Amino acid sequence: MAVVAAPRADQEFASSTLVREQASLWRDGLRRLRRNRLALISAVYLILLGLVAIVALFWTPYPTSAIGVAQIYSGPSGSHLLGADELGRDLLSRLMAGAQISLSVGLLSAAIVLGIGVVVGLTAGYFRGWVDGIISTVINIFYGIPALLVALLMVTVLGRSFTNVVIAISATVWMDVARLVRGQTLSLREREYVEAARASGARSGKILFGHILPNALGPIIVAVTFVIPSAILFEAFLSYLGVGIPPPTPTWGAIASEGVQALRLSPHILLFPSIALSLTLLAFNFLGDGLRDAFDPRQKR
Amino acid sequence: MRPHKLTIGGIGLSVLGLLGAAACGSTSSTTQGHTLAANQTLHFAVFNDFDTLDPGVSDLEVDSEIAQNVFDGPFRYDNNLKIIPDIATVVPTAANGGISADGLTYTIHLKQNVTFSNGDKVTSKDFLYSWNRAAALNGPYAASIFGPVVGFGAVQAAASAKPAGGVSTQQNIENQLAAGNSAFMMSGLTAPDAYTVKVQLASPAGFFLSALTLQATSGMIVDEKVVKNDPVNWWSKPSEFVGTGAYKMTEYIPHQDMKFVAVSNWWGTPKPVLTNVNVDIKASDTATQSTAIAAWEQGKYDLLGYGGSSSLPIADILRIHQSSSESSQLKLIPKGRTTWVSFMVNASYNPTTAAGDPFTGTSQAAIDLRKAFALSIDNKALANIVCDNLVCIPATGGLITKGLIGYAGDGTDPLAKFNAAQAKQLLQTAEQLNPSYTNMVQHLTYVYNQGGLNDGVAQFLQGDWQTNLGIHVSILGQTQPPFIGNRLKGDDVMSRDGWQFDYNHPQDWYDNLWGKAVLSANANTSGYDSPTYDSTLAMADKLPLDQALPLYNQLATELQTQAVYIPLYYSVGTFLIHPYVQGAGSTTQADYYWNGISILSH
Amino acid sequence: MTRGMLTYIGQRLLLIAFTVLVVSFVVFLGIHSLPGNTFVNERVRGASLALLLHEYGLDRPVLVQYWDFISHAVQGNFGVSIVNRGEAITPIVLRELSVSAELGGAALLLTIGMGVTFGVIAALRQNTWVDYSLTTFAIIGYSVPSFVIASLGVLIFGVWLFDVTGGAFYYPLTWDGTYGTVVELTVPAVALGLFTSSLVARITRASMLDVIHQDYVRTARAKGVKNRVVVVRHALRNALIPVTSVLGPLIISIITGSVVIENIFGIPGLGKEFINSILSHDYNVTVAVFTMYALLVGVANLAVDLTYTVIDPRIRY
Repeated sequence: MAVVAAPRADQEFASSTLVREQASLWRDGLRRLRRNRLALISAVYLILLGLVAIVALFWTPYPTSAIGVAQIYSGPSGSHLLGADELGRDLLSRLMAGAQISLSVGLLSAAIVLGIGVVVGLTAGYFRGWVDGIISTVINIFYGIPALLVALLMVTVLGRSFTNVVIAISATVWMDVARLVRGQTLSLREREYVEAARASGARSGKILFGHILPNALGPIIVAVTFVIPSAILFEAFLSYLGVGIPPPTPTWGAIASEGVQALRLSPHILLFPSIALSLTLLAFNFLGDGLRDAFDPRQKR
Repeated sequence: MRPHKLTIGGIGLSVLGLLGAAACGSTSSTTQGHTLAANQTLHFAVFNDFDTLDPGVSDLEVDSEIAQNVFDGPFRYDNNLKIIPDIATVVPTAANGGISADGLTYTIHLKQNVTFSNGDKVTSKDFLYSWNRAAALNGPYAASIFGPVVGFGAVQAAASAKPAGGVSTQQNIENQLAAGNSAFMMSGLTAPDAYTVKVQLASPAGFFLSALTLQATSGMIVDEKVVKNDPVNWWSKPSEFVGTGAYKMTEYIPHQDMKFVAVSNWWGTPKPVLTNVNVDIKASDTATQSTAIAAWEQGKYDLLGYGGSSSLPIADILRIHQSSSESSQLKLIPKGRTTWVSFMVNASYNPTTAAGDPFTGTSQAAIDLRKAFALSIDNKALANIVCDNLVCIPATGGLITKGLIGYAGDGTDPLAKFNAAQAKQLLQTAEQLNPSYTNMVQHLTYVYNQGGLNDGVAQFLQGDWQTNLGIHVSILGQTQPPFIGNRLKGDDVMSRDGWQFDYNHPQDWYDNLWGKAVLSANANTSGYDSPTYDSTLAMADKLPLDQALPLYNQLATELQTQAVYIPLYYSVGTFLIHPYVQGAGSTTQADYYWNGISILSH
Repeated sequence: MTRGMLTYIGQRLLLIAFTVLVVSFVVFLGIHSLPGNTFVNERVRGASLALLLHEYGLDRPVLVQYWDFISHAVQGNFGVSIVNRGEAITPIVLRELSVSAELGGAALLLTIGMGVTFGVIAALRQNTWVDYSLTTFAIIGYSVPSFVIASLGVLIFGVWLFDVTGGAFYYPLTWDGTYGTVVELTVPAVALGLFTSSLVARITRASMLDVIHQDYVRTARAKGVKNRVVVVRHALRNALIPVTSVLGPLIISIITGSVVIENIFGIPGLGKEFINSILSHDYNVTVAVFTMYALLVGVANLAVDLTYTVIDPRIRY
């Protein structure tokens, strides 16, 4: 969960001090990544999942919300590989559509968190002083409240919808990236080439986005990779608690929650989305670890 | 509970009294060849905490199902929903002189041996106090019950003025009643002697006794002595939660449990056999209910479904239904609750209405459009898929639930007839008559409150409209608080609607759900109203039931012709009762009283 | 305790108070901005509704209501519930806190106990099958959502092994003085603590590996000190410092997770109340629970920071 990743982001990445040559960094990184078998398998799994999600846009074995195409609560069979749910809908079709939702939530949230984190972190780290003071206090206040509760309250106040769920998730997990970017900026702004740029009269924007950001990119990408599974997990939690993306959208969390209600009657409704969700989170975590080893090699686990 | 006339009651009292005494002892006695268990404790769970058990303001089913064992009124319903005497000696009729010829004066004679659980005697003074207090409190049922009584409006007005000096409204009512302020007393309510109460109505009301009998609401008798100590929270304290019923509370811990014991030497009949009733208070979510069902299966609970909790999770019900050993312990009892879809047909009914087209109006185009949406729903398939044909049956006989007075008979509702071809045809006709519909129907949202069957129903409706009309209707699930308020304000073009009857009389439906508000601020979601409807209803309400029924049926026909609603289903309650629990069950309206229940040795 | 430390504690307490105040205000405004209220229904409208709103002070401006709420809350009085009309909230919330604390405490014990043990074993057996299987287990525990573990717990122990367990844990914990038994507590606590214990195991393993390769440990070993003594006295103590540094976030994680776990097992704790109160618009209860959480997290973080000074004497405030 995002909250737990916090210290890692702050304390571990902040010490990165090398100025590396960009091209060789990426080449070395990719080479290291290729040698990491678990990360590769994970990447392949995620690509396949992405394909499934894209295919689900055009084709599923049955329409995802077609009611009564199978016997209600029926288990896996030849015509319904993963069985049916409480309204007799085909579970495989719904899980395929669910992959689409989970991945969109994860990627969208990560993009938003990246945006917020970079802007806030750069601002705090570059301008320091009272700006940093205020931003750091806000970050600390956010860390002081359990994120799930904030997200839950936000979705309730804003209303249940895909957009609002993404907003609520982004609003509660942005702090890790912001803190990381801030730490990187604080250390990079003291570097000679930044000083040189500043002395030659370059504008703040140019220094921030031309000199500091590119050099902090490796750790940032790694951190953002970890935002994706956090967001997916969060979405599943919210849906599971009945406050996430509303029906008829078939999210994995919502299907699992329907499954729990029929746990003793037909456990497959819980099992299949749970497996899909767990594998996906596992893959993102492996891939994240792999990326960290590859692109942030000073960082040991 | 079956109170009889005094003479018969005397016999029943002595016989059952012996039985009760024996059951309390260490040895067990027998009934119908079965042995009574030594421990007569009934243990069950409800899935809702209580709002308030004060009859003057209570509303929830969970509240009334518990409180009906603590409070009595002049009459009560028997297990066939027939009105029978409770504190009163007889039910007043025109024949026995209890109701005057003009239908305006009701005379109620009281039993003289009735006491509260704290020993206080019940006299006509308690009736005046309780009823005037309830009228002043203006609780959920006050207007339906006391609305026809002379002086009710004046009391309402006097009591709703905010008292000065930071005194709470409830406290103020107590103060004024204690001081004998006549502005807080219905002038139509008088007590000729200590055991007679006279009620004067402003105009005849055929439903008056039915409404007055409604258990655990404004017609019940409370003890001024305890209420005045804490006018708001008296019900939550064992020492002050005092009624005339067979049971009294000994413990209440919110969110946890409520415990009751039988009142010793209780005045009524049958004498309670259960010595203790322990009610666990659980949350309403499915996980908690499933857990409780597992606990019931292990014998931790004697029964489930009591206390307004008879909508148990469907997956568990299906599983138990399929189990060979347990299916006989599952009792499926129809509840008087109908669910339908309301269209917003008259946006000008309510000044705050935010919803508008396309379903508004009484033009042929509008009627055709509504009818198209109704006929495209296969509510037999709905009952099959969403309810597994267990927890509901398709509503094919009109809005009033099957089994109640006013039910028109299976298959009589034209709106319930599934006909996809005709629906499509009607849609086309409507669109020809009013071309703007074509665009409007692409932006419809069906609004419902989440939970229970509602999510499944919404998705089923969405599927049927898509398949049979080719129209995509969005569905929007809301939590309970905004949903009901928004719906009643008229914010939804289409919404889940439904009614669980309070008392078995068509007036309870037609007066509350359509037409202009007569007695209370009514629950007219659709805004449907017409001069014919209002005049027919006013006429029907004045008449005795047998003469009123044909008029009420006219109202049903009018609603059907206008296609104001889409009939969906009648609810079936689910009760899990172990075989050793004797006498437990439920009518379409309420649980059987606790004092008719006994535990056999097992 | 030094003067500097007292000042530090004072500052932290001030920050906690500030956070709680901000949180309570924002949540109060948020929950009051929700449309509709719990009283409205088919029969409670118009005059009856106005009476109820007036009775509970809900017809006043929201800022006045907040002032009323917060000025009582600082004295420990959260007001009354509007769903359970007139019931005092403070005792209810305190009871629920004790339930959540029991569950969370069990999960925390499990987290530290299991996590540290597995981490140490994995480090000592580095690059053996023991290490690999424990590491894999930790990654799985880190990735599988707690609600899945909880549901599987219900499925395995409550359904498939019903004859063995009798579904014992399947009963909700109660809080009327009879706390949950060990059996009742275990499955929810494992479900709640598995994620965090995986994390602790990973961190312990990594820092343990760092420490045992350091000079003083090698020296101790070379001097012939027994392996077990080296591990416990020298290595473990230093290896635990990174673990304490994540204790704060771990506790937050457990609190967050408890919302889900309590809802799955039907445990009547704060997390369950939180969801219920939001859904039923029981305004003051939501704010009270949220405030409790913010307070809990603040105090837990402070306590964790203070334990640094005990474990790592180099840290001073």
